[in-house]
Amino acid sequence: MPFFRKDKPSVIAAFTRGPEHTVLVDLRAPEAGLLADLLRDLLELLDEDSLSAPSASDAPARSTDPLAAELGLEDLGDDLGLGDLGSDKPVAQPQDPALARLFPDAYSDDPEAAAEFRRYTQSELGAERRRRASVAVSSLARVPGGGRLSLSEKEALDWLGALNDMRLVLGTRLEITEDDQEPGQDFGPGDPRAAYVPVYYYLGYLQETLVEALSP
Amino acid sequence: MTEPFEDAERSWTTIVWNDPINLMSYVTYVFETYFGYPKPKARKLMLDVHHRGKAVVAEGSREEMERDVSAMHSYGLWATLQRA
Repeated sequence: MPFFRKDKPSVIAAFTRGPEHTVLVDLRAPEAGLLADLLRDLLELLDEDSLSAPSASDAPARSTDPLAAELGLEDLGDDLGLGDLGSDKPVAQPQDPALARLFPDAYSDDPEAAAEFRRYTQSELGAERRRRASVAVSSLARVPGGGRLSLSEKEALDWLGALNDMRLVLGTRLEITEDDQEPGQDFGPGDPRAAYVPVYYYLGYLQETLVEALSP
Repeated sequence: MTEPFEDAERSWTTIVWNDPINLMSYVTYVFETYFGYPKPKARKLMLDVHHRGKAVVAEGSREEMERDVSAMHSYGLWATLQRA
């Protein structure tokens, strides 16, 4: 895991503890807009219809993840194989690396057990991820032009899950494979992912403040 | 009452693996919140994951460990279960 260096810009959102178990964050309009966009990208990646696409198709399905499209990472099969539920066919790990990271194998040494576990848990986990991201997006609608967002403790916990999911997806897209790696060092000139490196750091900083706010 | 060491009810473990994305503070928080470990233990387990690449974070029946692994996946951690 990376140790997050707090060399943050001067005026930036941070989650703080509010009165009576609330969590507060002051968001400028561009930040609120960015977060809403990223959450919608996450929701689209986790879309139920694309999750139930059959995994055994001949041609890889095009990813419906708009962030992936923007980053030039199309032609990824986003298949959680929910259509295989109830059949004898084992459910494979998603081909899209970001989805695979969100839905990892539960057994490292037993592919059959891993497939069985996946068959019974993947749908529910996908639904939970969608729920959290939806809660976060809905809460942002309360501060349409930016402003102070006050979250209930439950909402804050959902934000924590959604933030972490966004970081996992973005980190995977940026091909972060080592602790304390500076993403993008190996990107060629004009790699569209370069613009998202500061976003990755920003999300990490934001999540760090939320963990702090939620800690006793 | 004691149970035999090989008792199937307690012969599985949940392992959390290191990954380069999850924040150390977040992993510690998960261990405190989900498992209820006191902060020093949670932090030690997190450092074990970080420095050694993985750590056993729980043990119990297979069903219990599947529940723990599910929870870890929901938190975004990379976890697996295996026989102790």
